[in-house]
Amino acid sequence: MSPLIRDEANQTYWRSLEQLAATPEYQELAAKEFPAGDEVNWTESSRRRFLQLVGASVALAGASSCYWQKETIAPFNDRPEGRVPGQARHFATSMELGGWGTGLVVTSYDGRPTKVEGNPEHPASAGATSIYAQAATLELYDPDRSRAVGRIADGAAQASSWKEFDRWAENRFTNLAGNGAELAVIAEATSSPSMARLRARFAKRFPKAAWATWEAVGRSAETAGCELAFGQSLRPLYHFENALAVLCLDDDPLLDHPNALRHARGFASRRKPEGEMSRIYAAESRFSSTGAAADHRLPLRSEQIEAFLLDLEAVLAAEHGLSLPDPASGGNLSGESVREFLKAAAEDLAGHRGGGLITVGAGQPARVHARAHRLNQLLGNAGRTVEYLPAESSDPIAELGAVTEGLNAGRYKTVVVIGGNPVYDAPADFGFAEAYAKAEERVHLSLYRNETSEASTWQLPRTHFLESWGDCLGWDGTITLRQPLIDPLWGGRGELELMARMVEAVELEGRGIVRKTHDVDDSAWRTLLHDGLKKDSRPAAVQVRAGKLDPPALASGQTKGHAGNGELELCFHADSTLYDGRFANSGWLQELPDPLTTMVWDNAVLIGVGTAEELGVENATLVDLEVNGRSMTVPAYVMPGQAPGSLALALGYGRTVAGHVGGLVSDDVAPVGFDIYPLRNSADPYRVSGVTVTPTGTPFELAMMQDHHQIDTIGQEGRDARLDQVVREADLAEYKQHPDFAQHMVHHPPQESLWPERTYEEGRKWGMNIDLNQCIGCNACTIACQSENNISVVGKDQVLVGREMQWIRIDRYFKGGTDNPEVVNQPMACQHCEMAPCEQVCPVAATTHSSEGLNDMIYNRCVGTRYCSNNCPFKVRRFNYFNLNEDLKGPDNEVRWMAKNPEVTVRFRGVMEKCSFCVQRIAAVKHDARVADREVGGDEVVTACQQVCPTEAIVFGDLNDPNSRVAQLQKSGRAYEMLSELNLKTRTRYMARVRNPHPRLAAAAAAAAPAAHAEEEVHHG
Amino acid sequence: MASHAGPEGLHEYIQPPDLIQGGEDFTSITNTVARVSEYKPPKAWYVAFGVSVAVLGMLLVMLGYLFWEGIGIWGNNQPVAWGWPIVNFVFWVGIGHAGTLISAVLFLFRQQWRTSINRFAEAMTIFAVMCAGLFPAIHVGRPWLAYWLFPIPNQMDMWPNFRSPLLWDVFAVSTYATVSALFWFMGMIPDLATFRDRSTKKLPRLLYGIFAMGWTGSNRAWHRYERAYLLLAALATPLVLSVHSVVSFDFAVAQLPGWHTTIFPPYFVAGAIFSGFAMVITLMVPARQFFGLKNLVTIRHLENMCKVIMATGMMVGYAYAAEFFIAWYSGNQYEGFVFVNRALGNYSWAYWTMVTCNVFLPQIFWFRKMRRNLVVMFIIAIFVNIGMWFERFVITVTSSSRDFLPSSWHYFTPTLFDALVFLGSFGLFFTFFLLFCRFLPTVAMAEVKTVLPDAHPGHGHHGEEGK
Repeated sequence: MSPLIRDEANQTYWRSLEQLAATPEYQELAAKEFPAGDEVNWTESSRRRFLQLVGASVALAGASSCYWQKETIAPFNDRPEGRVPGQARHFATSMELGGWGTGLVVTSYDGRPTKVEGNPEHPASAGATSIYAQAATLELYDPDRSRAVGRIADGAAQASSWKEFDRWAENRFTNLAGNGAELAVIAEATSSPSMARLRARFAKRFPKAAWATWEAVGRSAETAGCELAFGQSLRPLYHFENALAVLCLDDDPLLDHPNALRHARGFASRRKPEGEMSRIYAAESRFSSTGAAADHRLPLRSEQIEAFLLDLEAVLAAEHGLSLPDPASGGNLSGESVREFLKAAAEDLAGHRGGGLITVGAGQPARVHARAHRLNQLLGNAGRTVEYLPAESSDPIAELGAVTEGLNAGRYKTVVVIGGNPVYDAPADFGFAEAYAKAEERVHLSLYRNETSEASTWQLPRTHFLESWGDCLGWDGTITLRQPLIDPLWGGRGELELMARMVEAVELEGRGIVRKTHDVDDSAWRTLLHDGLKKDSRPAAVQVRAGKLDPPALASGQTKGHAGNGELELCFHADSTLYDGRFANSGWLQELPDPLTTMVWDNAVLIGVGTAEELGVENATLVDLEVNGRSMTVPAYVMPGQAPGSLALALGYGRTVAGHVGGLVSDDVAPVGFDIYPLRNSADPYRVSGVTVTPTGTPFELAMMQDHHQIDTIGQEGRDARLDQVVREADLAEYKQHPDFAQHMVHHPPQESLWPERTYEEGRKWGMNIDLNQCIGCNACTIACQSENNISVVGKDQVLVGREMQWIRIDRYFKGGTDNPEVVNQPMACQHCEMAPCEQVCPVAATTHSSEGLNDMIYNRCVGTRYCSNNCPFKVRRFNYFNLNEDLKGPDNEVRWMAKNPEVTVRFRGVMEKCSFCVQRIAAVKHDARVADREVGGDEVVTACQQVCPTEAIVFGDLNDPNSRVAQLQKSGRAYEMLSELNLKTRTRYMARVRNPHPRLAAAAAAAAPAAHAEEEVHHG
Repeated sequence: MASHAGPEGLHEYIQPPDLIQGGEDFTSITNTVARVSEYKPPKAWYVAFGVSVAVLGMLLVMLGYLFWEGIGIWGNNQPVAWGWPIVNFVFWVGIGHAGTLISAVLFLFRQQWRTSINRFAEAMTIFAVMCAGLFPAIHVGRPWLAYWLFPIPNQMDMWPNFRSPLLWDVFAVSTYATVSALFWFMGMIPDLATFRDRSTKKLPRLLYGIFAMGWTGSNRAWHRYERAYLLLAALATPLVLSVHSVVSFDFAVAQLPGWHTTIFPPYFVAGAIFSGFAMVITLMVPARQFFGLKNLVTIRHLENMCKVIMATGMMVGYAYAAEFFIAWYSGNQYEGFVFVNRALGNYSWAYWTMVTCNVFLPQIFWFRKMRRNLVVMFIIAIFVNIGMWFERFVITVTSSSRDFLPSSWHYFTPTLFDALVFLGSFGLFFTFFLLFCRFLPTVAMAEVKTVLPDAHPGHGHHGEEGK
């Protein structure tokens, strides 16, 4: 970025954001407003001119030293209705990721969006959001964003402007019009109706132009599978709330799916032991959140899923009378555990016809999807637990491949890349970067200057979704609107605006484009914007009929029980926090632990415990991978529950042009993690076989939020001995017998306090309830809390020494053997003990109790003895060892301040902090109630973690209100208090987890383990 | 004692030898002690002082860095919120114990052998408490606000929290520092007067004169002096027990398994005496060599100290064992785990270093020969110092690194800065100590003279004093 543009953008004061952004529009406007009539001819040299200049200079120099810059505050002549300065307002908008939208409601203070929440009306959100949406505010105010139009001509980068680009574009596209054979567009996937409208115009104007939709990860195989199974292009819409028997095959519908929030909500509604509980089976290669939430999990190589499905068909046909259109070809997989699992799953699926559901992961080939779709239809699940909606078939790899081929052939002189980063994430065998360089003009519209921008001739800054107009569809097809919360900070343009200019649309501004697409009257338009979506706009489900499927030719590896070195499979997956790499510059996401490994700031190849032993791979050491004739050195992480013979690697790391967080080699910021895309081929983008692993033995430090170091036997034994009390669990059968089992797992003598206890009978009594049966460990609460409470990011080196700052963490514990352990998640934040041990030991009384029972932290009183942290049995207190807001210093970073929640103190170095039960939200609700002269409702206050939770596992409210949800829940038999023997009287209670295992499998498991709760050692780092 | 020339072999069993050897008399004692400050010190002093000041300088640089950068430069983490700074604090406070014990408690018990070493030990106490006081102040997150721990009237009308053991600590340590300093200074007055009277130069005469507070040596002055000394000794005696008891409350009152233990107060006091005596030996053995005080600080004094070390070493050994027993007997799984983890878990190296240094090695003092061997006792004393540092490390770090919830367990790794600041505190200590050796009466002349036979005319050659 040229320093010139930077300086323009970094003025300390600005009157409007347009001016701050120094957009060409603004300059154009300014030029119109103040016509340059009497421009001085500076080169003219005359005595008179000289004296004029000298005099003026002296006068101005003197003036500027006497006065500071004059600032004018422009008040509203008429205050817009309902607008109170400093009071938050909320607007509905949406975020699109991978082509599918989620409705959002964004909180804005004085025109500054600070917090993203889900839109409760939106079917893909139901009030919750993904971690990516939570990180949006950080991204919006990221100073590393692309700020100005850049032009690279003849190898030299120069500052340019939209005006210059427009001039160039008009010329260029007019020349291409009518034909366009030399034009190719590579665009991010989108479901936007407006984009579709503009694309139609595009096809008209450039009939021969190529268009490729490129996403590094996506669910196109699913749609292709429907084509195979039903002869139509469809996408399945799952209804977990109707499903009583679920089988997930190498799939993570609860976390890794465009509709995951909705799935999680539906799943959770069926995981209440008080009602009818579903039973979840998961067969998967890599431990997923769904696998962790499942009642039964079978670690299976990804390539064996197909064989598994064939066996399932055979068992269903043979034992449960399911008639298949073609003869079953089962008996492919051997092994007692596989057979038992299969039989149990088949029994449940057959026993719940119309109430079962089979889902298949995005990484599985279309033919596997086809079989699962067909089974769903044959079992009567279609229309009940799964609906099929019309979908456009797309094959991103083929489309990008075609464009690459054309580029190599020299057919395309102009390439327009809308979003995305194909130079970084295209399949390695395409050699996309070289092909791309062959085009004469390469236009890239991008939020960040990334690897592709570096290789382009036009670098166009794209508006953030919170800055621009747009629309999209939810996974169920609901039309969803996107409206900006703020003017573009850096004068970018949205994808629609770029397209509109390319196709010479009448409307060039985002608002006009979207408005035109949804051609409605003013009142309907306002309703659309208010709701953020068009109600009842989802398409009707398609009736499907299953047909025959070609018998598959199973490779020998798919039936073999064991894969040795050289035959290993390697699966690629979108990273749980960075997705395909586009979020690499987000500190919040980089520092958000992976739900299962708890790894941050890195990716590593996951290897099962047995496989690692076989290969001689030590945890947290570098290994050489040989894949497809290419080799790469990456760190290994020995992961319990990873399928034997299967390796897994997360995409999205190793960015070289991401920014000052994710890696910027030109500025000496090393890439975070390892770039895996060079191992990925177009033929097998999600899975490769025949992988060889060679251990090098070189240690590599991996930052884990939990288990920072290899745990020894003593530690393991101590951990196992207390785990039952920390995370209380039972089978459904046990629960039915003893609904209050959780309260009888720890007994202790009656307790007395040293001093009189407060009763909190009057007024409010805030409390929280966390249902372990609902929590899927998605970490959304952690990042929502980070956004709400201005929590700092500390970086890999500080995580390594255990100084992470997140106020709510999700404790992940393994139970049982290392090959196939169970996983339990426990969200852990300040428990707000009534008898808080932290308060008693603080010498300066910097942490005290409020009259409503909140354990408050008084930052400006805290001197930082950290005694409170020592005495906290939950270790939820976080200490500012350094000034962690150092990165907010400097004019370049001023924009970062805008992401801060103005209601929450930004903490200084040397003070302790911790969960406050979102005390600012309590205060806001109380304030509103007082203004309205009413009582605060028991459920009225919603904490940030509660609001974002897709499964509604977290409930907050007033315990003194007997009708509040939290008061009701805490009365439940499942509710228990952590470490009650310490007489803490915690305000947060947990609801014990209840599993619903298949009776036969549960009996087998109990027989295998001598004691009821015996746990084997789980050695792992 | 072999050096004592008794007329008969049996003699030494009946009559203990003189506390002061080499036929020193009133004059020679004064000469011996005062000489140190009147003539140029040996070269070794300059070398030692140079090194100490350099290390102190490094400490100051490190502290500047700490104030600039923040206390994250320590190795402290989550869950080990107290790391080396608190370990060092307890270590130095413990060392500061021997002084008061020797001066006050042994005085009240009429242990006259203390007279040769008490000044030394008191000085050590003062400087050790200075070092100790440094650490809590710089370990807090905002050191410039550490004074908020004192009940100073303020615009917020805020009292400190009297329930916090850390606050008790502030009172206990500051009281101890004050009383120790007073006791030390008051005991020095007659000797300072001697220095004043002997000095030939103006400035020393003036300064010694000021601090001698007009001491005349009159009967009346001696009478008042002895009374005051006795009273201060009586005042200081409970402090010996209280300071380290209160320091132990920092841990014992917390509910962390491994800290929350009722045995801590006596255990800490025994450990403090143990480490204090070890430090006295560490300092005394070279000092008597360099400053020619061998006749005043005799092998017998050192031997007595070795006995105290052995006795207190076994007391801490008993405490270690008792902790394990109670951890098992209590049936508390968290408590039980902490101790098993200490001995066999990831910090077992620290635990066994501690046990070896504190319990096993001092057993060598069962042998009289070893108790009287300067090299052996010096080495053992060093090991005890190390062992006692590790004791505090084991208590502070291992307990918190693995507490209730396994999810927050984390290993503690110190940083270079941790080590440099700890080293720097020795620079602070030795700088003051060497200045003390150079300019102040290192042996309480007036008191030593009272144990000379000459001081007791009519009681024969051997006085009844002595052990």
